[in-house]
Amino acid sequence: MAPAKSQPSTPFASRELNGEVLLEELTDLRNAQIHQKHLNDLVVGLRDLEGVRVSEASQRLKQLAANRFSGTPALASLLVRWAAKLKAEADVPLLIAHFERVAITSAIVSAIRRAADTLKGAR
Amino acid sequence: MGSPHTISDEAADQLAQWTPRARLLFDELLDDAGTDLQREFLQRAVASAHTPAEVHAFADELRGLSDEEAYEACTLQEDAPEDYTVSQLLRAEADPLFAFELKGGTIEPNEDLHGGTTENQLPGPLARGKRDLDDDRQKLDPLSKAVSGKKPSDSFEAESPGARAPKKMDWNDLSGGNQPAAPKKEGPSTAGGQRFLESLLAEATRSLHISWREQDVDVPGGIALADALASAAGALTRGIPVPCAVGPNPGDHRRFVVLLQLNTSGKNRAWQLYDPFSAELVWANEGDLLAKAELPFANKVNRRLTRIVLPQSLRSSF
Repeated sequence: MAPAKSQPSTPFASRELNGEVLLEELTDLRNAQIHQKHLNDLVVGLRDLEGVRVSEASQRLKQLAANRFSGTPALASLLVRWAAKLKAEADVPLLIAHFERVAITSAIVSAIRRAADTLKGAR
Repeated sequence: MGSPHTISDEAADQLAQWTPRARLLFDELLDDAGTDLQREFLQRAVASAHTPAEVHAFADELRGLSDEEAYEACTLQEDAPEDYTVSQLLRAEADPLFAFELKGGTIEPNEDLHGGTTENQLPGPLARGKRDLDDDRQKLDPLSKAVSGKKPSDSFEAESPGARAPKKMDWNDLSGGNQPAAPKKEGPSTAGGQRFLESLLAEATRSLHISWREQDVDVPGGIALADALASAAGALTRGIPVPCAVGPNPGDHRRFVVLLQLNTSGKNRAWQLYDPFSAELVWANEGDLLAKAELPFANKVNRRLTRIVLPQSLRSSF
């Protein structure tokens, strides 16, 4: 029987979840030309998962991938991969937070790239 | 101004910067406020340099509350979560709107308040017609409504990068303790007065309800590095990475990097920095950042943080 407050499973407990892992995902999404709006929409969609049990969250992630994001295979694939990694109740809020960070970091990196030319000696 | 209401000096200073129409509207908001407590909260929100649109939206939220409910909604009790930073707690004491948002309340400011045709500027029947039209638009596009909390025509693509951003306070600012914040100047001194990222980021994260404030670090009119890191820590705790510029000296911005994560172990804090151009991802001890002598990137010329772009007006969920 799982404790009331479960520990996050290994992928979600990693210190690099929102570091190296996040940046690798961002690179993949950028190569697949996923737009910022898709990421923002995803964040809003994932907020509905707050408080949802892990089994249901996993199912809804897959539904989201199959329906809302079927036109963006790279994003859908990422969702499905994470859905399979959800094991503990504590994973759900961490996954929501992770995708929020992905979206915000994407926005920041895009803005930085656009603004870099204005800096003296940039790049 | 001739307001029939007693206005605090701090609020009066802020109101002096508002347009006559906005001041008139504020008088009406005070008239409409049900109780003295609500009027006091509105004045404090004004004194804390919130925009007219934010104060208006705040008044709309307060109007439906009893005094007890309003006090509860706008006051941090001893049950404040531990992850609130000291600066957030101090600011919340002076700024009821900030406390309201910190406790999960949301407002929906109509930033068109200063200009353009808004419901507030229309005669009653026309205003109702516009409101109905907006409702219909939202019914037609529920996703847009869910994403932005605004009508579909306000999607983030439609935002004009050149539009003047409403003056807002950084919610992580540590300014003035229990006293309402001093009136904000138009902004910190920047390289040629230029803000590099603020509007770009605002455009990209608008639907996530995040706006940004760009500040030079360790220059007159800017923010001290220690305070900048304290504010950045608050943002990262809530899951918001923080862009900043690095360079050899204050005011000399050479490169943008991102403060991606913060790791606390005992008394030690380590910051994870990411340089999108060199693709370097490094950890730096806070002490090294504060020493301003060297950053752990390959390029050693850029040895210190020179500018920071802090998130503000965050959704309660962050």
